[in-house]
Amino acid sequence: MSQISNILKKIFILIIIIVFMIGFSYSYKALSIDNVAFLIALGIDSSDNNNYQFTFQFTKPISSGESGSSEAPPSIDYIVNASSIGSGINLLNAHIGKEINLSHCKLVVISEELARKGIYKEIYTLTNDIELRPSSNIVISKCSANYYITNSKPVFENLLPNYYETFPNSSEFTGYNVKTNIGDFFDSLVCTSREPYAILGGINSESANASTSINSQKDVNEKANSSPVEGNVNSDNSGMAVFKNDVLVGELNSLETLCFLTVQNKVDHFLISVPNPDEKNAYVDIYMTPDIAPKIDVKIVNGTPYIKVKLKFEGNIYSVAKNTNYLDNSILNKLSENCNSYLESNISNCLYKTSKNFKSDINGFGFYARDDFLTLNDYKNYNWNYKYKDAVFDITVESNVKSSFLLNQT
Amino acid sequence: MANSKITVPEAIALVLTVFVAHSIISMPQDILATTKSSTLINLTYVAVIALLIGILIYKLIKNFPSCDIIDISEYLGGKVFKTIIGFIFMFYFIFSSSVIIRNFSEGLKEIFYPMTNIVFILLAFAITCCITNRFEFSTNIKVNLILMPIILISILFLFTSNIQNFSLRRVLPILGDGIYSTFITGLGNLGAFGGIVILYFLPPFLKEPEKLKKITIASIFIGTVYLFLCVGTLLFMFSYLDQIEELLPLYSASRYIEFGTFLQRLESVFLLIWVLEIACYLSIFTKLSSLILKKMCNCNDSRPFAYITSVLVFSISVLPANNAIAGLMESMVYKYLVFAIVFFLGISILLLANIKKRRTLNVSNK
Repeated sequence: MSQISNILKKIFILIIIIVFMIGFSYSYKALSIDNVAFLIALGIDSSDNNNYQFTFQFTKPISSGESGSSEAPPSIDYIVNASSIGSGINLLNAHIGKEINLSHCKLVVISEELARKGIYKEIYTLTNDIELRPSSNIVISKCSANYYITNSKPVFENLLPNYYETFPNSSEFTGYNVKTNIGDFFDSLVCTSREPYAILGGINSESANASTSINSQKDVNEKANSSPVEGNVNSDNSGMAVFKNDVLVGELNSLETLCFLTVQNKVDHFLISVPNPDEKNAYVDIYMTPDIAPKIDVKIVNGTPYIKVKLKFEGNIYSVAKNTNYLDNSILNKLSENCNSYLESNISNCLYKTSKNFKSDINGFGFYARDDFLTLNDYKNYNWNYKYKDAVFDITVESNVKSSFLLNQT
Repeated sequence: MANSKITVPEAIALVLTVFVAHSIISMPQDILATTKSSTLINLTYVAVIALLIGILIYKLIKNFPSCDIIDISEYLGGKVFKTIIGFIFMFYFIFSSSVIIRNFSEGLKEIFYPMTNIVFILLAFAITCCITNRFEFSTNIKVNLILMPIILISILFLFTSNIQNFSLRRVLPILGDGIYSTFITGLGNLGAFGGIVILYFLPPFLKEPEKLKKITIASIFIGTVYLFLCVGTLLFMFSYLDQIEELLPLYSASRYIEFGTFLQRLESVFLLIWVLEIACYLSIFTKLSSLILKKMCNCNDSRPFAYITSVLVFSISVLPANNAIAGLMESMVYKYLVFAIVFFLGISILLLANIKKRRTLNVSNK
């Protein structure tokens, strides 16, 4: 009797194993590396008749013999015209005979033209995709998304995905571009206290380079597509794209982006050029480091937002000329004052630009305004996003230029 | 026999299992949707009420040493009443288990098994229940005790590693939708403390029954801290969770964990831990259901009933036609069941049984 029971038990276990093998094999097959093509960048352009032109970029597998090659990393690019992201992917699936997987997609590029029409649908669809990670960078390209993707070739990286993942990191030490991703963008899009922003990208053309004047005060006014940099790197990601809800309403140049990042406390250190107190029409480069986190206070005065921002920096002089004495306290104080006035005026201009021109609270001052309200209904009735255009800013910068780096007196 | 009794840490882990299992699905998001930015105040308020309820249950149940709610209902209303109450609690256990596995399996299907019919995933959990229930209850509880610290550490890790993505100002305005919403309609968030139900069944299993009070306070306190971490993570990270329904909100939060390019995609580890936790939860609830059935049928062995309860859990879990119905079962039906069965029915039985006992004592004294 027990033998029969043992046999029955074994048969039962065998049946269960077979059932599960059948049941789960479909998913295994669907996600198997042989059947999947990993997308690394997705470009979205607007096309005729409310359609889209999608650019799908994949990496080309490198054989062992090619690994030492000094050429630019190979990629496979496809262009698909379709009515939606889903149907675009579907069409390409049929064409390449593999299923496109977005789990390694590091970059989503949307053309400026499309962004100006509104990208609500695209952002919601991408956020809904279980494969696409919220950390995928989002770029608004001055040129077409297709042109941006096909011409973005890294020089210092052998892997395209690595480049797409790490290029916004320079924002931490230059402040000239922003680091933002699909997750942040979606959150800001839905949030009632903040508006979304994105990386501004472009491809440097010869004409753009030629037209750029070289001046220590003006080279920080560059933005994507008008960079003074020439070299092997074609893509240029300076400045940022500003949105009001889902619509692109404007751009900030490198300096304005730096100002934005200082208020956000998202820059580790940065370089500014301020007038030299010892020499007329000359400038001194100073490395500034945020001393403490910015103090932001928002009050509603007679129905108008009154925004106070207090920033503190420490500075180290970078450019040193002959016969300079940076051990002289009065010179350091004058330099500190110059830094204060330079940063105050630029930050103020940048903030007024976001409120008066763009009417878009990309800084998230709305979160600070919530202090003045007891309930969410009061806050919603106040309509922060509408009132932000009337905001008054009071910017205070306290800089302390301490010394030079190695040469304090020449 | 001494080995089959539950120690204090095991009992605390047992109660916490219920908190954890529901937090994985949509409980933190439901809490957030009810009270929005005032969630942390509401959670403190609700936790105090839950603690008072827990202490009340302890005070009422300690007069019936080594008796669970089924024994007490037999004392109160005889065998028929015991059977009715047994069925109600069994329904509660089976229903909440079904809701949990259905909703969790929906998430697993979307993430890992897009081409697999959900029935296979549900079947895997149901078979796990059958297998684990062949062992002693203490075995399941010991496994649960091993898993619980891992879960608590993982949620602490989820919270701390997402700190960079936090905006603490999301807790403002401090009163959310207002005082009424925070303190009156917000009482609905007591549903998150459904783990209290375990207290009704603990006394017969306890190695040291006199420590039930300690177990009650410790489990509600740790459960509250755990809920704070879960809800806090979501509240500080996302602006939209009170407006947009996410499949597994904590999973979404875990997708943001990155330590540069060095350590990424840790969400799979979280899912693995949560699969084990759901399996533990199911084993415990189906075991409790089989124990109720055993008492109702006056049998010596509860193991054969484990198959019945597992089949019932599986059958109910396949019933919802789509994700929307399964989600509704979790966010609405389960919440009301907690109020009706755990807080109202359970406490009423204990109160009435205590009154009856006092009267009997008075009569015998006279």
